[in-house]
Amino acid sequence: MLEGLQILDLTDEKAVFCSKLLADLGAEVIKIERPGGDSSRWLGPFWKNSPHPERSLSFWYNNSSKLGITLNLEVKEGQDIFRQLVSKTDVIIETFPPEYAKKLKLDYQSLVEINQRLILASITGFGQTGPYRQYKSCDIVASATGGQMYICGAPDTPPLKPYGEQSYFVASLFAAIGILVALRERHQSGKGQHIDISLQEAVAATLGHVFTRYFYDGAVSQRQGYYDRDGSFCLLPCQDGYIFLTIDREWDILVNLLDNEGMAEDLKDNRWQDSQYRRQHFDHVVEMLTRWTKRHTRAQLFLLGQLMRLPWAPVNSLPEMVNSIQLSERNYFVPVEHPELASSEGQGKRRPSRPLPNKGGSLGGPPLPGGGPHPPNPISVEGREGREVGDKLLRYHYPGVPYVMTGKYMMRRAPLIGEHNTQIYQGRLGLSSEDLKRLKANKVI
Amino acid sequence: MNKEALQGIRILDFTWLLAGPYATRTLADFGAEVIKVQSEKTASGAEDNTTGYFNTWNRGKLSITLNMSHPQARNIVLKLVKISDVVIENFTPRVMPNWGLSYNKLAEVKPDIIMLSMSAMGQTGPWRDFAALGHTIQAFSGITYLTSFPYKIAPPSPGNDGGQTGQILPLGLGYAYADPVAGLFAVFTVLAALEYRDKMGQGQHIDISEYEAFCSSLGVAILDHTVNDNIASPQGNNPGRSQAAPYGCYRCQGDDRWCVIALSTEEEWQAFCQVLRYPAWSKEERFSNFSARKRHVPELDKLIEEWTIKHTPEEVMGLLQEAGISAGVVENVKDLANDPQLIARKFFLQIEHPVLGKSVSDNTPIKLSRTPARIRGAAPLPGQDNDYVYRGLLGMSEEEVSRYIAEGVIY
Repeated sequence: MLEGLQILDLTDEKAVFCSKLLADLGAEVIKIERPGGDSSRWLGPFWKNSPHPERSLSFWYNNSSKLGITLNLEVKEGQDIFRQLVSKTDVIIETFPPEYAKKLKLDYQSLVEINQRLILASITGFGQTGPYRQYKSCDIVASATGGQMYICGAPDTPPLKPYGEQSYFVASLFAAIGILVALRERHQSGKGQHIDISLQEAVAATLGHVFTRYFYDGAVSQRQGYYDRDGSFCLLPCQDGYIFLTIDREWDILVNLLDNEGMAEDLKDNRWQDSQYRRQHFDHVVEMLTRWTKRHTRAQLFLLGQLMRLPWAPVNSLPEMVNSIQLSERNYFVPVEHPELASSEGQGKRRPSRPLPNKGGSLGGPPLPGGGPHPPNPISVEGREGREVGDKLLRYHYPGVPYVMTGKYMMRRAPLIGEHNTQIYQGRLGLSSEDLKRLKANKVI
Repeated sequence: MNKEALQGIRILDFTWLLAGPYATRTLADFGAEVIKVQSEKTASGAEDNTTGYFNTWNRGKLSITLNMSHPQARNIVLKLVKISDVVIENFTPRVMPNWGLSYNKLAEVKPDIIMLSMSAMGQTGPWRDFAALGHTIQAFSGITYLTSFPYKIAPPSPGNDGGQTGQILPLGLGYAYADPVAGLFAVFTVLAALEYRDKMGQGQHIDISEYEAFCSSLGVAILDHTVNDNIASPQGNNPGRSQAAPYGCYRCQGDDRWCVIALSTEEEWQAFCQVLRYPAWSKEERFSNFSARKRHVPELDKLIEEWTIKHTPEEVMGLLQEAGISAGVVENVKDLANDPQLIARKFFLQIEHPVLGKSVSDNTPIKLSRTPARIRGAAPLPGQDNDYVYRGLLGMSEEEVSRYIAEGVIY
């Protein structure tokens, strides 16, 4: 999609996913790391759980399909080379604190002098302006200040940060959209511009109905954990884990389902038809429903619900999601080869890599396996184990892209430290191999 | 004044509820002309034009009314497709083909049309027709299970005995987060498809699975499983794999008020002790270096909370940030609405609606320096732009329009 678009990637973990999004669509992304490799290479988890800068899975995932060069931006010679790269690129994505960027002449004003068409995307904790612009941030701070944490967790627990690094994820999406919007505009004007993304705002902008409820009804959303106190959904225990049930608009169907098993009791009374009454006596509703759900497995309830077109779902563990038949049928997982690991392992010592997503079978699809939301036993289905290509290559299955577009989707493994130095410095900038040697000796690259 | 970035892009918008309208809103914010097609059947509930929800997710769009179940509606849609760049819909996969509006049919009248279909599970696969809300997707993806504390929590209600003994109770996210995430992928791919069309002259059908979009947010944990067999478990507010202590969410002065603090370097620890004025415990052996602190997290957190509880979260955040330490108020929506940083950056804007009056809404977080988003105004009333679209764009005569209205095609 984006073949021909050239991007320089100066991001840390806050927006490393932004350039991945663009690389996934075919843009040429050159990741610039400090000599010796980026510090994000030390973020776990690691391949075989052994820390090593070429084995960070977080680095692998977020830098797939990128090129990698090393360059010291804090010395003059490095900055000169960087300016040459800037003059040839379309987009720069960076996450430096605003003052630091200015000091290194990496701010928009300095860069636009080199290249009028440059699109610069800056992603920071609180943005480039405002009283907090110099404040430090990270995922938990963004989650807190963006309003996410306060509404996650239960009424009797502290606020809870959603799993993963959601603020980096959404900030990267917003930045990537900003870049494509600016690119479209550039076709008309011939000029680039500066995109300013704040983690705090990125989180706040994805709060769903929270602002609407406040600005229109004055409602301050609270933590409600398992149950929506407005009576529209709940998480209830089953024989083998938890089920997500919607219970408001589908009330009559629900009562029927319970009644079929002789478990509806007083819920058949007319007063329960009133959703406000149900909200007022929500504990009783939950108690009655729980008695019913506990007699069933997640798979039974989930399929029953979907049969009635109710948006119910099993509360899956991560392996259950990975083994979902829907994901494998849609080829969501893509094979990525890691030849560099095969050689480091040595002959005969190679352990077969894990796994190909399970094609079909009972795991992951309906019906669901037992095991509950606690992880089931690691899956070792025939056909998922032992993926070695030829004699040399190791191949792993990465989560792919969530869209189907024109053309076949391919993914390359993340670059090794300085892997494309020669290609970029000699091929692109026309430096000689002597230049390269000297730069290396001077620790510029 | 600069032209708007997406000026000249026309989008035919069949979306409803949250994920789809969120996507087309973003495109409208940057100047695309979004024509929302409202059918009597869908224009109710949250899609009722005079609700706050509708006004929030449909600002700056145009509205036409068209009775999609009428056989003549299809031809009008195809005429609109001919003059549009993009068609976006988020029905279940059966709906558009049932109306005779599959991508192939659209491409017959407009070969380079870009059609985006976004559904819970995608257009293919055994689960394609599943019904889902944002929360459903979250439960499927694993994040509902993973967003919890790594210990057993007392159930909040006498009606629930906590499921099986010894289990961690899933808590999940308190809001439909998967919807905006899917919407963002929709905007991103539509813009990429427009680039491709302008370069190659080809349109395409984009198929987005809300489920897959959300799984992308758990990429590293997935890879840790497919590569290492490791199985992700709930982390609470622990730093996970990043090395940090103290780190977490601390109770502050006031009712349900909290502040998060995240230290990662020794330098920050020194600064932290200075802000607390070097209490005696800070000099104890068990907190003297990083790995020692890491071994004594519960005691450390308790001592820190003895300090935070004496201050408001705003004070804690201010004191620590001024000393160069990552910290942030756990803001509820009221805090957000009064947050000095958000206000300074104009994160909120006022919109005047003909029925709802003045209301506040969140702005886009995408801040472009030269061609910033420009919100055109409130969400439309039903059929507000019938005249502009049917007569202006399609060139229908007054008689034609009257006939369509009489026959119940346009309502």
